[in-house]
Amino acid sequence: MICDWREKTGLYVDGELEPASQQAFITHLESCDGCAAAVLEQQELKKAVRIAGKRFTAPPELYAQVRMQTHAAKTKALRPWWTWGFAAATLVLLVALSAVLIRNNRPDPTIAGLVDQHITTLASAHPVDIISEDRHTVKPWFEGKLPFTFSLPELKGTPYTLEGGKVAYIEQSPGAELLYDIGQHKTTVFIFKASGAEPKTSSNSTFTIKSWREGALQFYMITDASDYESSRLVSMLQEANR
Amino acid sequence: MSGLENHEFEKLAVPLLDGLYNFACWLSGNPDEARDLVQETFLKSLRGFSSFREGTNFRAWMYRILRNTFLTSRTGLERRNTQQEDEEGFADLAVSSETPELALIRRADTELVQTAIAQLAPIFQEVVLLADMEEMRYQEIAETLDVPIGTVMSRLARARKQVRAYIVTALEQKKVAGTKR
Repeated sequence: MICDWREKTGLYVDGELEPASQQAFITHLESCDGCAAAVLEQQELKKAVRIAGKRFTAPPELYAQVRMQTHAAKTKALRPWWTWGFAAATLVLLVALSAVLIRNNRPDPTIAGLVDQHITTLASAHPVDIISEDRHTVKPWFEGKLPFTFSLPELKGTPYTLEGGKVAYIEQSPGAELLYDIGQHKTTVFIFKASGAEPKTSSNSTFTIKSWREGALQFYMITDASDYESSRLVSMLQEANR
Repeated sequence: MSGLENHEFEKLAVPLLDGLYNFACWLSGNPDEARDLVQETFLKSLRGFSSFREGTNFRAWMYRILRNTFLTSRTGLERRNTQQEDEEGFADLAVSSETPELALIRRADTELVQTAIAQLAPIFQEVVLLADMEEMRYQEIAETLDVPIGTVMSRLARARKQVRAYIVTALEQKKVAGTKR
């Protein structure tokens, strides 16, 4: 004969019993081997399903796609009526200041293009053309493809992993696009031949964007890792190319 | 939607992405379809976020949108038509207090448990995944599936009995096969 309490084992294991019933059930378990065994069995089963159920992990490009969707919606977002009134009132002032401000603050089109390239890479089924964690494999792959050379730092013992690279272009000039992992964050480092004035970078709410020059090389880094997490990789790249 | 709402949406929704994708893979059985389902879920929920009432369960709301999106998809309709099982059609299997079953469950590897989950009818599969994998409370599952709590409890009990029976039978058969060799 099955104990009357047995039907409560599921509720107990799921933590769904009222506090008073929970206590009474615990007291019952001390004197009923059958219910105790049933509870143990249900706990084991629950644990097994929890482990086995977590079978699929969302690919990084899905995160990128979803973020792009959200940001696209943001730009299309409707604003309440009063913000339009406010916008009209400040428009005159903005126009007066724009000649100066636009020159200084307009996002660099190169940076905007590289951010798009970074997102495209993350959304791609084949994010890199040379797949290797080994810098001694990745760097030689670029030889003959680029009109310059560069060095990659040793990443052993660091939280960074090199995934590989491919050739990227800005204004028809070829450069290296290197994909790194900073923990779970995908990070793209672009290396081009330096020319003209140093570009103006500013991080946005989605990405940390950095740019720097090392000799004749112009570096760009775009990542959703924090400034702190990515700064050591910047230093290592600087050091390797000094 | 304002930028602030949009930012708030992203903050709440993105941490759920992995779980939603996993759930979508289980429902559809196809990673590509799961990606589309998740993207559609995010689009729909983003559009509806301004009408989302504070205080209601955001996770349950997102999972409900995902599930409804799946149910109205071609695969969802096919699956419902071919695999729907009568909720009352299963004989209750008495929970045994014997320990050999417990020993067998402990021996079950992940692959066997995954097969046991996969063979469940959709109405049982979703409830056991939400309860045991997502660790949702019964109330949250009821909101997600849009069914009464009593239905959640009975489906969950049946789902677990079937998973347990599948594992025990498979391992016993393996044992018998091993003995005959």
